[in-house]
Amino acid sequence: MAKDAEKSTWKDFIWNSRTREFCGRTGSSWGLILLFYLVFYIFLAGMFCLTMYVMLQTLDDHKPTWQDRLGTPGMMIRPRGKAMEIAYNTTNTETWDMYIKTLDNFLSPYNNSLQAEKNEECIPDQYFVQADSGDVKNNPKRSCQFNRTFLEKCSGLDDHTYGYQAGKPCIIIKLNRVIGMLPGKDGQAPFVTCGAKKEDSDKIGEVEYYPENGTFNLMYYPYYGKKAQVNYSQPLVAIKFLNITLNEDINIECRIISNNIPPGTVRDKFAGKVSFKLRINTKG
Amino acid sequence: MRYTTSVTKGLTSSKAEEVLERDGPNELLPPKGTPEYVKFARQLAGGLQCLMWVAAVICFIAFGIEFSRGTLGCFDDLYLAITLITVVVVTGCFGYYQEFKSTNIIASFKNLVPQQALVIRDGQKNQINAMDLVVGDLVEIKGGDRVPADIRIIFAQGCKVDNSSLTGESEPQSKTPECTHENPLETKNIAFFSTTCLEGVATGTVINTGDRTIIGRIASLASGVGNEKTPIAIEIEHFVDIIAGLAIFFGFTFFVVAMFIGYAFLEAMIFFMAIVVAYVPEGLLATVTVCLSLTAKRLARKNCVVKNLEAVETLGSTSVICSDKTGTLTQNRMTVAHLWFDNVIHAADTTEDQSGQSFDQSSETWRSLARVAGLCNRAIFKPNQESLIVVGDASETALLKFTELAIGNMMEYRERFKKVVEVPFNSTNKFQLSVHELEDPMDLRYLLVMKGAPERILERCSTILIKGQEMPLDEQWRESFQTAYMDLGSLGERVLGFCHIYLNENEFPRGYKFDSDEMNFTTSGLCFAGLISMIDPPRATVPDAVMKCRTAGIRVVMVTGDHPITARAIAANVGIITEGSETVEDIATRKRIPVEQVNRRDARACVISGGQLKDMSSEELDEALRSHPEMVFARTSPQQKLIIVESCQRLGSIVAVTGDGVNDSPALKKADIGIAMGIAGSDAAKNAADMILLDDNFASIVTGVEQGRLIFDNLKKSIAYTLTKNIPELTPYLIYITVSVPLPLGCITILMIELATDIFPSVSLAYEKAESDIMHLKPRNPRKDRLVNESLAAYSYFQIGAIQSFAGFTDYFTAMAQEGWYPLLCVGLRSHWEDVHLQDLQDSYGQEWWVSVIEICQIADVLIRKTRRLSIFQQGFFRSVDVDSMEQMSLTPYIQSYTPCYVSFMKGWGQWWFVPIPYGILIFVYDEIRKLGVRRHPGSWWDQELYY
Repeated sequence: MAKDAEKSTWKDFIWNSRTREFCGRTGSSWGLILLFYLVFYIFLAGMFCLTMYVMLQTLDDHKPTWQDRLGTPGMMIRPRGKAMEIAYNTTNTETWDMYIKTLDNFLSPYNNSLQAEKNEECIPDQYFVQADSGDVKNNPKRSCQFNRTFLEKCSGLDDHTYGYQAGKPCIIIKLNRVIGMLPGKDGQAPFVTCGAKKEDSDKIGEVEYYPENGTFNLMYYPYYGKKAQVNYSQPLVAIKFLNITLNEDINIECRIISNNIPPGTVRDKFAGKVSFKLRINTKG
Repeated sequence: MRYTTSVTKGLTSSKAEEVLERDGPNELLPPKGTPEYVKFARQLAGGLQCLMWVAAVICFIAFGIEFSRGTLGCFDDLYLAITLITVVVVTGCFGYYQEFKSTNIIASFKNLVPQQALVIRDGQKNQINAMDLVVGDLVEIKGGDRVPADIRIIFAQGCKVDNSSLTGESEPQSKTPECTHENPLETKNIAFFSTTCLEGVATGTVINTGDRTIIGRIASLASGVGNEKTPIAIEIEHFVDIIAGLAIFFGFTFFVVAMFIGYAFLEAMIFFMAIVVAYVPEGLLATVTVCLSLTAKRLARKNCVVKNLEAVETLGSTSVICSDKTGTLTQNRMTVAHLWFDNVIHAADTTEDQSGQSFDQSSETWRSLARVAGLCNRAIFKPNQESLIVVGDASETALLKFTELAIGNMMEYRERFKKVVEVPFNSTNKFQLSVHELEDPMDLRYLLVMKGAPERILERCSTILIKGQEMPLDEQWRESFQTAYMDLGSLGERVLGFCHIYLNENEFPRGYKFDSDEMNFTTSGLCFAGLISMIDPPRATVPDAVMKCRTAGIRVVMVTGDHPITARAIAANVGIITEGSETVEDIATRKRIPVEQVNRRDARACVISGGQLKDMSSEELDEALRSHPEMVFARTSPQQKLIIVESCQRLGSIVAVTGDGVNDSPALKKADIGIAMGIAGSDAAKNAADMILLDDNFASIVTGVEQGRLIFDNLKKSIAYTLTKNIPELTPYLIYITVSVPLPLGCITILMIELATDIFPSVSLAYEKAESDIMHLKPRNPRKDRLVNESLAAYSYFQIGAIQSFAGFTDYFTAMAQEGWYPLLCVGLRSHWEDVHLQDLQDSYGQEWWVSVIEICQIADVLIRKTRRLSIFQQGFFRSVDVDSMEQMSLTPYIQSYTPCYVSFMKGWGQWWFVPIPYGILIFVYDEIRKLGVRRHPGSWWDQELYY
């Protein structure tokens, strides 16, 4: 009996025909409460928009308010491969064709003709500072040329397969852009160095860096942000593995060496370094 | 002999040992207590606890799924599960410890000194531990002893026992060797275990020991009555239902949304679980436990020991208190209240500490009266003890104390008037007399003093003392005596008459052989000295406390074993029956109509005696309780107490019952909250009760009620606070799923907020002072005034929670934008943000980011949040002094609008705390407007919808 009573109260709760109540409220009651919440939320949303607007007004267009998390910039490779894993078979063109295409795409803005057209030649080994004079912004800011030919054997101009076909692949490394960062002090440019992880150290073979020593020339710094420095050409370093052990996974880690970039802690896997896996198969 | 014992020599030691071996020691086995591990398990299995167990299991499942898929990003789920379990276990331990502590306090009441019994074995009197008594033992008891077992009396002299703890009868029962009744409870020749022998001596054989005694049987019966669920447990279950319902509803909604958006089934399932878990108010359990134990502690300081933590709140929702009279409402000591001499009624001082006014003591009559009262008195101060311990029956004790105060050292005074002979009180004579030598050694007359039932005393008098002069006792004096006697009797007081006479020196020279049996001396034509009336006066604090109960909408019903007139007088005295209230009988007398013609509804007050109650059906009792707000039950047996409690509960009341006797224990158990007396209470009563009043004082109950109500209010605030927090913790997750912004608030961060930082403000609400009108409101209706109702949920979730969410979003987007991620860029950023292999994610400025940065920030930031909390926590605290507000959390929520626990970056934090200030102000202003509306327009739409 008690159960019956409960059932009917449930039904009554959803639609009580006697009091014409739906879920415990009459139509006008629902109307009032919904109206209340409508007004309430419109007001809140309005307030949210207002605060957002005010907040955006306070932002600088060219430099973020805080950069504390970017003390040690990250690094990245091209091609990225699948989850930082570059594996292909020299005999099977399809397995490395996509890497070639990625690199072609990535390097096309660095073509010498384009660079010459948009950017200017700078004095090497010194920062290319373009200071604003007070409130007058010195915009747009100019950028230095980074010609594709700087990458020499990895420029893809002579060897269209970037050495992939020959089992001597090129990997291009870039340092993350950070506005206003001046890497390397006293005229000492930062450079990239790559090595295999412990157990693979004898398998990596000889490595060549382009430009020479794998340096990022100081003239490409500082960066002024994509709005002020539209044509900024990020400096690159290419590495070419000359006689890497084939048919085996090789873990490689490249890091930036600079006298004013603090090395990331061991916990930070991506602070100032980049790790990837390379496997070149030769057997069909 | 049936017990192989000798009436003179008792058992032999060897036989006694044998029987002891067979029957076990003579003690009540403690009722089978719940095993400790069950008690502990109970702490882990409450409503909230179950919710958290389920959440923990869900977390394990989610962890399992992620683990088996190999997509384990972090161990959040595992940590979460472990934390949830830890919280349950830790609070469980805490609650267990609290209850354990109060159990210990109760255990400490038990007599540590083993009771001794005077036993005759092998023909020799020995003092042994009562524990070692066996059936057949011959024991002697005397006034002041506790009866060590069930005893059949074989010899008695003026033996009287107090059976009140067993039967509730407050009158001492005399015990004689005759068997007068078949029922052992009625017969005169059996004295019961644990009752007290008040006076006289008796010898008897032990017929039952230990649990086989009458009291042992009753004690084991009491444990059969089921315990009721406490209101707070019901409330919390209700709350858990709501939470679980909402959690599943939201979880399911977003599961569907996620599926719709195109997430994989498993991923959507994990979202579902995460939402359900996010809904669990992890901190609340701790808050509830802490609130309850804080209050229990506070109460313990005020002499209420709470055995069951949840009982604290039950007391607050109490709507009827069935109170004992003796000892609870009254001081439990007969005290001289009025005197009648010189044809005037004088009021004596009845306060506990003799701080009241005394009457004029200059009259000669008073001196004579005091002398009679002091001499014709068998009570004595126990030698070598503090002068306050008196042995004797209640009225003689009262007289002794009274004369001691009025005259001074009574023991020495009696020395001066040497007692020659005395005739003790008996029920046929109804008087007591003694003959004394006079103080003046030259005066060789004897003084006869007599006291007794006033009408019997008057019969024997021919003169009356007026202002020290003997006047003939004529009709006029008789009439004024009658008036005074009636007046005092109607006050519910026990009246005694006093008279004396100087015996004729010639007729009764020195050395005259007075014979107490023959009464070979003058016992009539005496000189009437006056009347003295005694009552067990109410405790000083009680009228106030009853008044408080009344304003708090709590009915106080007196249930006593005493005489109706006495009960009524005390009830009127303490305010249970208010001035001007009349019973049906009063109205009948006033209107001079028969009782049957009185409209019962006109009578506010009602006195029902046990006899009447026996003839009433339960419907009639319900009706009586409903129609008369002021009820007194007199001459009730403890069993009838149970009937009264049940009747009150049928009427929907939450009933508190006080009791001390063993027979009260069923009623104590049946009541929503049973309150045992710490001093007068028996162990059985204490076992059955939820709460123990250490000082037996009714006023302490009222304090308890106040605390209980306070805890309900504060819990409500706490829950509102906790629930509010739930929404801004959940919404980030919702926008994470729906608009794919980087996750603003991780599970671990939520846990940190819940358990590390927000516990303090939640618990601080437990310290909140009572709002001024807390004791002016009606007790909450357990069916309507829920701990968590719709408006509370709506207020927390959809109003304050929404404001806070927006505050949080504002802060989140501000932090993101200031670091270089504009709001619009954030939308849809999630998959890139979480891609571990994408280490050059571009922000709005063209900078490139690697991603694990974010996790570090969250952890670093929570620590900062903790310190920030402190300052504003104080602010919230000051604010709470404002008793005017319905709830005082306006500022606190702003503080917890979890500002920087979003993606947070080291440098920005100082500033980001201030970002949500506009919202803090908004909450404050909104809440003030809300409360203003609620106060100004009670009953309006605004009040109904927005007051919780």
